[in-house]
Amino acid sequence: MLASATSRTVAKSAASAARARLAAASTIPQRRSYHENIVEHYENPRNVGSLNKNDNDVGTGLVGAPACGDVMKLQIRVNDDGTIAESKFKTFGCGSAIASSSVATEWIKGKSVDEVLAIKNTDIAQHLKLPPVKLHCSMLAEDAIRAAVGDWKEKQKKKGEKAAA
Amino acid sequence: MKMGSSLSSSVVAYGIAIIAISTSTIHGLESKRYASLARSNMAFAVPPSRRQQQVHSSSFSPSSLCMSAEVVPPGTTSNVKTSDDDGKTWWKEYKFKDADFFEKVRQEFPILSIKVGGDGSNDGAEEEESMKELIYLDSAATSHKPLYVTDALTSYYNKINSNVHRGAHSLSRLATSKYEKARDSIAKFVNAYSRNEIVFTSGATESLNLVASSYARSKLTKGDEIIITEMEHHSNIVPWQIVAQQTGATLKYVPLNVETGEFDIETLDSLLTSNTKIVSFQHVSNVLGTINPVSDIVTLVRSKASPDCKIVLDACQSVPHMPVNVQELGVDFLAASGHKMCGPTGIGFLWAHENTLNDMPPYMGGGEMIDDVEMEKSTYAPSPARFEAGTPAIAQSIGLGAAVDYLMNIGMDRIHAYEKELAYYLRRRLCEVDGVKVLGPNEDVPTAALVSFVCDYVHASDLSTFLDMEGVAVRAGHHCCQPLHKAVGHSHSARASLYIYNNKEDIDKFIEHLQDTLSFFGSLEGDNDGDGSDEEFVPFI
Repeated sequence: MLASATSRTVAKSAASAARARLAAASTIPQRRSYHENIVEHYENPRNVGSLNKNDNDVGTGLVGAPACGDVMKLQIRVNDDGTIAESKFKTFGCGSAIASSSVATEWIKGKSVDEVLAIKNTDIAQHLKLPPVKLHCSMLAEDAIRAAVGDWKEKQKKKGEKAAA
Repeated sequence: MKMGSSLSSSVVAYGIAIIAISTSTIHGLESKRYASLARSNMAFAVPPSRRQQQVHSSSFSPSSLCMSAEVVPPGTTSNVKTSDDDGKTWWKEYKFKDADFFEKVRQEFPILSIKVGGDGSNDGAEEEESMKELIYLDSAATSHKPLYVTDALTSYYNKINSNVHRGAHSLSRLATSKYEKARDSIAKFVNAYSRNEIVFTSGATESLNLVASSYARSKLTKGDEIIITEMEHHSNIVPWQIVAQQTGATLKYVPLNVETGEFDIETLDSLLTSNTKIVSFQHVSNVLGTINPVSDIVTLVRSKASPDCKIVLDACQSVPHMPVNVQELGVDFLAASGHKMCGPTGIGFLWAHENTLNDMPPYMGGGEMIDDVEMEKSTYAPSPARFEAGTPAIAQSIGLGAAVDYLMNIGMDRIHAYEKELAYYLRRRLCEVDGVKVLGPNEDVPTAALVSFVCDYVHASDLSTFLDMEGVAVRAGHHCCQPLHKAVGHSHSARASLYIYNNKEDIDKFIEHLQDTLSFFGSLEGDNDGDGSDEEFVPFI
């Protein structure tokens, strides 16, 4: 699914509504499902959208797993002091992929570009209680963070070289 | 002497087998007998040909090769009861014609009784309870193996294991005999003219690469043309891309007819020139289930392409499921994989005319494929040895021989008829699920018993995860057909594929759990309209 930035209101009760639906679904005998954390991020993904990739303070990470058809774009806007001011994502993929990238954008806000490199896919997977077959989605989110940071750092390096020349 | 005692036990077991066979019904061995055959470890003592005479009553008949245009929904007249309501429950009373026989076949696959799905989130008894019965719908990826085949493998390693060809001792002679018997079985399976037309490979991918590397690379030059199709598996695309790069030949694609999901034979007509030297295509699409009209394609190619044009057939999804007769098909090369037809992994074969093979340079060099070796140069053995360098996959070849014997014992016509029923039932039920879009031809076109589908509001990967939570094994992704998925406009799909051990209940449970999954996702809120409004955001990488 494409989590896009068209108009949508994030209802405060949406979280509890999702939990209620999940509870209802699990009253079907032995019906397993995604954990409510995943469902919550799937229904109400955080920070969906785009930043201008040409801006100098923006780093863009575009990662994909062609095998399963997932694509993640994660962008960061970085302050002068190297902390992440805001983050946006767009993901084409399964519920776990959307949830993983949504979580990623939440976690990296306010942290420094080096701090976020310490975020491991296992942390994301554990927070979301991803089913074992979906661990690679959290790996993709980790890759997306690194790619975004890498892109921003590359831009800073080029800026530095230009200034020196 | 160990050898002597095993021989005598084989003789005794042979005797039992003869008695058993003489009491068999004309419709095939009962599974009890299969079990006893397997247990007595005489997998090789009964000459397969004898069983075939009993059971495999029809020789290959051309009419069974290509699907006729007319589809007679199986089980129509007496089996289908229209219900009182609007007919939506037509499937409840539906029964496959040969269901009873194939229920017995199902008993011969031990893996079907396992339970799957425990993710370690529960402990002990709760974990046990949370495991689900396996409903395996991924046979296009790989098939399960009957006890007959797994026993053949174990028996080889425990009683026969020895290197083949040129062995100076009894065990080696026995291994060689079994190995070459397996080659004979495969030759019979596809109705090859001679055993020398069967080359053992590691699978269809190697077979196709062998043709590309050995035949095409040595014969093609700049200006020559290779034609493949948009619906091909990557193993029937990439080798030709490499050959085209290496030789300067031009690679052309027959596009998929997206409307009908079928081979666009008119476009093939327009692409063929007198420079066309290779035409390679799938017999059956592993994504769409489309059965390509081989005879029509062959006739067209012979009339328009270069006289020395070779036709290569990827028969991975046809050979396990229907009678395939190379002498009737008229192709020049045929590739197939053993693990898709109840055989072990790591084995497959390439069929081609002996003359063609003997005219090809070697693919790999080493022992077995040579005649004389001197320091400056070597001469090469004739086919099939020429393409079987090194110690072969002996156990796997014997396992494949056993698999082929097993299938011939049931009868490929019988398997084909059953699968036509499976295909009809699966497609019809799936088309009736709201929200599901089935890829491929319309319901009224005969297809293989496999179907790929997408859903507007659920990612294929979510579908497969949720189905997996209920024990249903399907595949999600591009199924090694990225150009095909690009052509149909979906980057990935979910696929359910069936084989001889699937039954109506499997399909019913699959549909039920699919419907549950779709209801769950349908009930979720969230802005998942998938309008793809961001032009820069391309879901294909």
